[in-house]
Amino acid sequence: MELVCPAGTPAALRAAVSAGADAIYCGFRDETNARNFPGLNFSAAELAEGVRFAHAHGARVLVAINTFAQTGRVGQWRKAVDEAAGCGADAVIAADLAVLDHVAKNHTGLRLHLSVQAAAATPEAIGFYVETFGVRRVVLPRILSVQEIAALNRSIDVETEAFVFGGLCVMVEGRCHLSSYATGRSPNLSGVCSPPEMVSYDEDEEGTAARLAGFTIDRYAPGQPTGYPTLCKGRFTAGEKTSYLFEDPVSLNAGNLISSLKAAGVTALKIEGRQRGKRYVTEVVRAFRKAVDAVEAGSDAGEIDRILSGMSEGGRQTAGAYRKTWR
Amino acid sequence: MADQPREGELPTFVRVLFPPVAIAPAGLLLTHCVRTLARRQPNLFDRLGEWRSARYLVAPSDLAFAFIVVPDGEKSIVHVVGKNSPGSVDVAITGPLLTLLGLLDGTLDGDALFFHRIISISGRTEAILALRNTIEDAELRPADFFGLHGIVARLADAGILNGLSVVRWLIAGRAHATGKL
Amino acid sequence: MIPASPIELALGPVFFHWSADRLTNFYRRIADEAPIDRVYIGEVVCGKRMPFSDPVWPETIERLERGGKQVVFSTLATPSTARERKSVEELCADGRLVEINDLTALRFRSGQPFVAGPFLNIYNEATARFLVGSGAQTICPPVELSLAAIGTMARTCFSAEFEVFAFGRLPLALSGRCYHARLHGLHKDSCQFTCEQDADGLAVDTIDGQEFLAINGVQTLSHQVQTFCPQPSELVSNNIRRLRLSPQTVDMVAVARAYRRLLDGQEPPETVRFVLSSLGLPGMQIDGYLRGGPGCQAPSPI
Repeated sequence: MELVCPAGTPAALRAAVSAGADAIYCGFRDETNARNFPGLNFSAAELAEGVRFAHAHGARVLVAINTFAQTGRVGQWRKAVDEAAGCGADAVIAADLAVLDHVAKNHTGLRLHLSVQAAAATPEAIGFYVETFGVRRVVLPRILSVQEIAALNRSIDVETEAFVFGGLCVMVEGRCHLSSYATGRSPNLSGVCSPPEMVSYDEDEEGTAARLAGFTIDRYAPGQPTGYPTLCKGRFTAGEKTSYLFEDPVSLNAGNLISSLKAAGVTALKIEGRQRGKRYVTEVVRAFRKAVDAVEAGSDAGEIDRILSGMSEGGRQTAGAYRKTWR
Repeated sequence: MADQPREGELPTFVRVLFPPVAIAPAGLLLTHCVRTLARRQPNLFDRLGEWRSARYLVAPSDLAFAFIVVPDGEKSIVHVVGKNSPGSVDVAITGPLLTLLGLLDGTLDGDALFFHRIISISGRTEAILALRNTIEDAELRPADFFGLHGIVARLADAGILNGLSVVRWLIAGRAHATGKL
Repeated sequence: MIPASPIELALGPVFFHWSADRLTNFYRRIADEAPIDRVYIGEVVCGKRMPFSDPVWPETIERLERGGKQVVFSTLATPSTARERKSVEELCADGRLVEINDLTALRFRSGQPFVAGPFLNIYNEATARFLVGSGAQTICPPVELSLAAIGTMARTCFSAEFEVFAFGRLPLALSGRCYHARLHGLHKDSCQFTCEQDADGLAVDTIDGQEFLAINGVQTLSHQVQTFCPQPSELVSNNIRRLRLSPQTVDMVAVARAYRRLLDGQEPPETVRFVLSSLGLPGMQIDGYLRGGPGCQAPSPI
């Protein structure tokens, strides 16, 4: 199976390649990609250099142009595709029909991957993208169980890629406006969820309140570890109950499901975290490289557990929807 | 309580040894170092975008003074200020000195330190994020700050980084010994 | 400017799990009394609710069409099971206009006329034109877009009618997980339909008591209520053909009448907002998205 790893900077790209990534995904430093954070991402020159480095080390580079083009500015998204192709990218990851259409019509040699932001989860939707745009790989929404992925793979004729580690969207990707409702900026509108400029940590006698655009997302006792106030990971009150209503503040770790995902017909495993540092990239990629190699060599689950236990992501982890506990 | 060093902090006597007035000239030296770095790696600061002209307050929790940093390439400024009178800043970052140095060379993971409250941030979060990502990509070594080359640079890097990790280890050991961790 | 044909009103599909009786009575009144031109019917949020509402539709369609309303069948926003996908396919075979809310439906409807619903990601004129090429006659863009952005699309894509989500709690997100079930400690597969208890959705407050969101099974909505009350000229200049009113438990006939008076220029926006506020809306009034700001922003005083 192919290991697809994140890079928010050229340094992270080199770190991922060195740690054993088969492919790196990254984006341009603007709103055309879904990790549009300050100081993150690549200029065209940096991308070209990154592609040269990756290719020299036998790795591929996939460029995420996976936001929805804004009205009156579709040209910027088309230009990003042209630049990615010019830099020698191995594939473009896209979600917007306008961007997919541009790749299909103008870059017939360029591999096209369907972004998770398109949230294509049925054989019919996937079939539409494959037949209309010649999509070669579909990144699966993080709401499917392993059984559902296996059934889906049996009824489609295209590669699939599944997230195995990192941040977890509990909402259907590309269909969530929670962030813009509070802040005016969202993944679809601006390539960013719960944007940092709207975040505040306010200390009072009860501890620290993490707020987004003034809405209290969570509260921490003095000295307790805090979290980033991502809307869907907050504590809220509904029906007189206060709880992590949408999702606990956990991150995805499907390391133990690599062999199940392989059996379900998944082609590539994806690690989330273009906004994370080199240290994260190095450790997670290294662990998954070993685990994937162990699975490919037919090692048992105990061996894989041992490899993954060394991962220092911190915080609580979940297998997300894969284990079907959501149903 | 206030006088007791917290996790990862230098011993209290360091604060007494280096009052702000004694350290003020270090601002000139550091300004020179950052500008030298900017001359050698002019693209390094591009990532900061609009935050090049932001005023960052870097306040080591175990020292009596703090730094104001404006990371504007060859126009960069570093000066030493008293902790209680930093003037207006866009964003402030506080934490043990050795931890802050670990962030600079990428030894430590800033996200984890932040969420575990070892460092704290106030003001424009996006400015510190831009700086964090810039530093991440810069892959700075101690020698870069002093404009050193070749074997001297390698020796300086090894000496400084090893020295820092020894001090971190000593402090962690002391904390263990006094049951602080 | 040449006076265009009057801007129409549409009633969106009911997002909530209303009982068969409630749905029947609701649509009877709409058919007989509401000044509405087009009515979207059908379940769009949760396929598990369909067996409860399905028996309602034949009579409802007949009654609405007799009342001079155009009936449009809305399809599921996140079809997943074989049964749900089958239902989408069957609805797409209907001779009436059909609203598609997921590209799953495009497979069955491409080449025939359809409405592109607010759950499709139509963020720019090129995407709009692409869908028009596949048969889209009406486009109701995602709720987070501003009127200016919708206007840019509508002015460069004049072969489609553009419809704006003007009234109701905003549909903000969909999930594979059911929040009503999770809140009640149940699994989605044995959810006991607790969402039926909250006919406007269940309020979600922050831990500091700020009104914020509402849950409706797998759907998350705004707590606040969109009450977009523009000057009619604003709609004309942005090439908007229709306003969509999304059903809540308030008197929707009164809501429709107030909007009709607004569109006919008989009452100014502030009067219409006052009328709406007296109906007992489930939350404060907002229109931030269409004004280009955060969705939760209240209308600015005129």
